[in-house]
Amino acid sequence: MSKRKTLIKVKPNKYKNGDIVKVSFMVMHPMETGLRKDKTTGKFIPAEYIKNVKFEYNGKVFTNMNIWETLSVNPVLTTYMKVDGEGVLKVTFTDNEGAVEESSQKIKPKG
Amino acid sequence: MQRRDFLRGLSVAAASAVVVTPSVSFAADEKPKGSNALSYKEALAAVTGSKTPEVSKKIALKVPEIAENGAVVPVTVEVDHPMNEDDYVKSIHVFATKNGNSRCVDAHLSPANGKAMLSTRVKLGETQEVAALVELSNGTFLISSQSVKVTIGGCG
Amino acid sequence: MRKILQISLCVVLASSLSFASEQFAMSNADRAMYEELMENNPADMMLSNGSELLDALGGDAALAKYLGLSEDELPVYLAGFPRYIEKFKMVVSIDQMLQAFMHESGKKPYALKSSDMFDMSSYVKSIANEQPINIDIEANEHMKKAYALGKEVFNTRRGGRGLSCYNCHNPGVVGGILRTQPLPDISAKGNASAATWPAYRMTKSKLATLQKRFQGCMQNALLAVIPLGSPEMTALEVYFTHEAKGAVIALPGLKR
Ligand code: HEC
Repeated sequence: MSKRKTLIKVKPNKYKNGDIVKVSFMVMHPMETGLRKDKTTGKFIPAEYIKNVKFEYNGKVFTNMNIWETLSVNPVLTTYMKVDGEGVLKVTFTDNEGAVEESSQKIKPKG
Repeated sequence: MQRRDFLRGLSVAAASAVVVTPSVSFAADEKPKGSNALSYKEALAAVTGSKTPEVSKKIALKVPEIAENGAVVPVTVEVDHPMNEDDYVKSIHVFATKNGNSRCVDAHLSPANGKAMLSTRVKLGETQEVAALVELSNGTFLISSQSVKVTIGGCG
Repeated sequence: MRKILQISLCVVLASSLSFASEQFAMSNADRAMYEELMENNPADMMLSNGSELLDALGGDAALAKYLGLSEDELPVYLAGFPRYIEKFKMVVSIDQMLQAFMHESGKKPYALKSSDMFDMSSYVKSIANEQPINIDIEANEHMKKAYALGKEVFNTRRGGRGLSCYNCHNPGVVGGILRTQPLPDISAKGNASAATWPAYRMTKSKLATLQKRFQGCMQNALLAVIPLGSPEMTALEVYFTHEAKGAVIALPGLKR
């Protein structure tokens, strides 16, 4: 389960078996570089970023991304996926401290 | 009690002048090096080994010519290559060549993608080239790069 | 140091604006790329949070009931804010109406500047998506007065540089480029700010309301910052909303 707010979008909304759809994953995350100073304390804000995002469909990983703090705050990642039957699209993300969260969405092809 | 914020919000007149505190970051302290710092050259070598990537028109790298702001710069990479079991795009890597840590994304793909594409948004500290490196399943490396001008935006 | 430098540059440039065809203008291809970002607007996550916060108060149905409306009437009604509400004896924006609603439901109202309030009020305004803005400044004396005050705040030169909002936001300078940023046309014919805010501000990585955006301009143009929810601020929102009357609400927006 995801503690952080996430959103998975599949485009287009309606698709059928064999279609190639766009899958976007976004998550509310500060993606702190560790190089920014806190204006009030003058101290560096510790690095805090997601380092891996895994896209899985019916138990099979189709895209596996290593990412860095160089991505924008509240990152958005988009990849393609070939629709092949009803099932679950699961996105698992791991932060730099090793904490793992996941979110998922049902895939329901029409026709 | 609860109404206080509501009422205060409604009744306070526009008075307090804004004080712009000048944060003296001008002659900046030495730039700290992040723990992930890795130059473009090093990062590229780490992926390709000793192989020299071939500049390729098969890669469509889409970045803005002028970035509205460095905090959110859209990057899309599409590769015109089949995604079959025995011939596919194995990975797409995006580098911001002048960022302290030049690495942005390593996307490992598979034939189950149907098409090879990666889209995201990166931070760019300054005007620089963004590079997309692609590895094919046969071990070939392709590359394409594009320069992005990062400006300080308008007021507000 | 940095900040002041940037501001004075802005002001200098304000008096010598370049126009769209010149070198600093952004290409159409670039603009299209930025528009594409709308497909995945991070603010969607914040509005979804706002929707959950409202659900905790009984959701759209409870809000409609509180306002004496049916749920079907909610979108059109919300497209008319800021409004004079008899119960409060004043013209209020959606966030203040929500504070009163929370109070009535026995909850401690979120502060106007809290992110929870931004999330919830943005969600509530988005219930009016696809509706044209239908603010009525002739509805009563209070709305007439608020509009007049808003217009005055908009046109009054203040601050260290003697600038008014009008200086940078008038038909004569629209399209002029201030450091790569075209000066937005705030009317229904252009950006229609009132129909596209609340929006995600990419430079801040945050959701901001129209009033919060006003504060940004005040800060950067060295005008004293008017508090959220003050009569002047609400009046300014009335003015901007009337300027964009008829524009179709499309939230959340996505801005630089
Ligand atoms: C020095 C010039 C200047 C002044 C004075 C100024 N603005 Fe702005 N304003 C701008 C610029 C430039 C932008 C667009 C900047 C950007 O895209 O980041 C902008 C953007 C805005 C927007 C967002 C428009 C949209 O929908 O995208 C609003 C709302 C706004 N200003 C309101 C105000 C108000 C209210 C005032 C007076 C209190 C004011 N501005 C004064 C220059 C100015």
